[in-house]
Amino acid sequence: MMWIDSGTMPLLTLSVFFLLLSPATSTSAPGRPRVTSCRSPEKETFTCWWEPGDDGGLPTTYALYYCLEGSETVYECPDYKTAGKNSCFFSKNDTSLWINYNISVVATNAEGKSVSEPVEVDVVYIVQPKTPESVMVSVLEDDHGPYLRVSWDKPRSADTRSGWITLVYQLRVKQVKEENWEEYDAGMQKYYNVFSLHSGKEYMVQVRCKPDHGFWSEWTTPAYIQMPDFIPRERSMWIMVAVFSAFILLIFAWTMNVKRSSVKHYLLPPIPGPKIRGFDQQLLKSGKSEEVFNALVIQGFPPTTNYEDLLVEYLEVYDDVKQELVLNGKNLPEGLLKSKTMSSDNDSGRGSCDSRTLLMEKCAEGVEESGMEQELSQFGESSWASSDSGEDRENPASPRQEDRKVQTWPPVFSSPQPHHFQQQQPGGTRASYHSVPEISCRSPPGHSSGGQQNRFSKPGFYQYTQMHSMDSIEHKHVAQVPQSQSAEYVEVQTVDPENILLLRPLANAEGHDPELSDFAGEDYSKVRDVTSDNILLLQRDLSGPQYVRDYCQDQSGQVDPCFMQLQQVEQTCKPTNVHLHLPSLMLQDGMRLAGNGYVDSTIMMS
Amino acid sequence: MARLSQSTRLHLAVTVLMCVFVSADGVSLNDLLERASQLSDKLHSLSTSLTNDLDSHFPPMGKIMRPSMCHTSSLQIPNDKDQTLRVPENELLSLARSLLLAWSDPLALLSSEATTLPHPERNTINSKTRELQDHTNSLGAGLERLVHKMGPSSEALSSLPFHNNDLGQDRISRLVNFHFLLSCFRRDSHKIDSFLKVLRCRAAKMRPEMC
Repeated sequence: MMWIDSGTMPLLTLSVFFLLLSPATSTSAPGRPRVTSCRSPEKETFTCWWEPGDDGGLPTTYALYYCLEGSETVYECPDYKTAGKNSCFFSKNDTSLWINYNISVVATNAEGKSVSEPVEVDVVYIVQPKTPESVMVSVLEDDHGPYLRVSWDKPRSADTRSGWITLVYQLRVKQVKEENWEEYDAGMQKYYNVFSLHSGKEYMVQVRCKPDHGFWSEWTTPAYIQMPDFIPRERSMWIMVAVFSAFILLIFAWTMNVKRSSVKHYLLPPIPGPKIRGFDQQLLKSGKSEEVFNALVIQGFPPTTNYEDLLVEYLEVYDDVKQELVLNGKNLPEGLLKSKTMSSDNDSGRGSCDSRTLLMEKCAEGVEESGMEQELSQFGESSWASSDSGEDRENPASPRQEDRKVQTWPPVFSSPQPHHFQQQQPGGTRASYHSVPEISCRSPPGHSSGGQQNRFSKPGFYQYTQMHSMDSIEHKHVAQVPQSQSAEYVEVQTVDPENILLLRPLANAEGHDPELSDFAGEDYSKVRDVTSDNILLLQRDLSGPQYVRDYCQDQSGQVDPCFMQLQQVEQTCKPTNVHLHLPSLMLQDGMRLAGNGYVDSTIMMS
Repeated sequence: MARLSQSTRLHLAVTVLMCVFVSADGVSLNDLLERASQLSDKLHSLSTSLTNDLDSHFPPMGKIMRPSMCHTSSLQIPNDKDQTLRVPENELLSLARSLLLAWSDPLALLSSEATTLPHPERNTINSKTRELQDHTNSLGAGLERLVHKMGPSSEALSSLPFHNNDLGQDRISRLVNFHFLLSCFRRDSHKIDSFLKVLRCRAAKMRPEMC
């Protein structure tokens, strides 16, 4: 404060004195007022309100002045009272439409005055009607339940009748305790129906309106209404449905309860306990396992008696009075079952059931002199019966006594009538499967065939036969084969006049006929024919027609029954598919040629 | 024949009714006025929204030019309700028609200027201006039909020529002039709307619920 010198001191003291003496507020010119809004409720009058500024501590008066566009005349507000404080009301006479009012407010006090910002107003743009009147709410009923009907009146001052002002209405509804309003537009109509309200709740309704070009009015005071208690129709229906279905369920449950045991039996059928024949639970409980297991043993298992029936075929060849040749065979595996079933039907029956034992008996009878019997057993895997080189042991010197393989015929279609011999049509095969039991083969002991060369009933063929002769003569014809169970191929070399099937093993590949080696893989051959000499004429396969011919020519020099056969059955050398072409000759009674070149003969059960 | 479907029957009924109307009296006066007032309402709403778009980026420029300088200000119109209700219908119609006709040229100018207006909302302004033009033309056609209905006394027209050819050269004046013209149109469209609605309610004495 070093700059305070003696000159300013009196001034300071004076001002302090005045401050202390004068009242707390200071006076000044008033602040600028502000025109806040102007509104016309019916497009006929309008009111403007202003907001006073700071009054400067002095009593301030406000005056509103206006002038119309295009004129410089300034008018003062005609009515400060009607509309309340700080307002100016323009009556009808003072209101002109489609013309701009330039309005300003002047605040005056002892200190000065201030003028507000001027405001341009066109009356037609500031229309805001009063609220609708006479809002009435009532509850009405219809088919779907109660609903609200709200009705009201236009604000009194609005002249909609002449079309001067056009009003549209809006209402809103909410539950008293809720927060969100639901608003509905009612257009120009003065009523509205509100649906889908909840029963038993209290609602409040409000309405407002708006001119076609203007502002929304204020909301009316809320109207309260209490919705009656009712059950919506859909809900009552659902309740009925629920009750009804509950009733039905109850009945159902009671019924099930009454029939408890039978239901349980139906749903959960008792599982039969294990029934093992011979199994005694008591024994098990007693703890002696040996006794239990001994009891389990069933005599006669595994079943061996019908083994041959199940297994493959064998060729039953037997030479009875009627010279019937039975060739049986069947293809596995389907033939297996069939043979069993059919075995009782059409064939002589000799080839089936217990054939093994049967054969053995019969062979034993007839082959006494040979003393050696070997059965040719059938084996189920293929239609090949295997025979060992039984003859090797017999006559090692004989070339035929090399490994011989007997091969069974594939299933031969045999006609169901054994005594009948007829030529089968190609398509007329009748399948009857016979399970041919084993064939006891007996090697001819040094018979004339010993001096014979290897003769083939059909040159170059794999001859698979299991010849089984069941008749009195038959046993002689049996070629012996060892009881080896292995499947080997043998060739039937020939059947000598004594009805002995000479077999020779087929696996011999020692520069044998090339055809034969070629045919090493050949499994089947078919008997085309049986000559009167009881010679099997085997069907030549298609693949090697050449060989046949060649072989035929080769063998032509041989003097043996084969040759004779060849000559007789020259046709067989032709490389034709002789499946279907069966020579008419060589067929004797009791023999049948089935289609496919299979000789079909049935065993004669005399 | 007895099994006509619902829709066929409806179509048949509508066709018959329309034939009856056309043959009898054409479209009724009430319907014409209803349609006209709807159009004028739409016209004014469009102009209001257009003004708002124009003002969105610029302060109001109404102070620069006065509405008394509108080219239609010379037309004598009623200023308040009592005056308006005293005007006979045909004169009201004539006033509406005159006003509408006075704006066909200016609106064309506005339309052409809107395409190159230096305003950020130009696209909206352009499309709305075109809409404005279309509605004006429709309303003009409707009013012509009304004139035929209401008689020859309503054929009088006041000429309100519009002389300006463009809105100015520089950007500011173009904007200002555009705004000014638009404000004039907004007011005049309100006049037309008011007159037609008065006419509507006056003709619909039989339907107090509408008025």
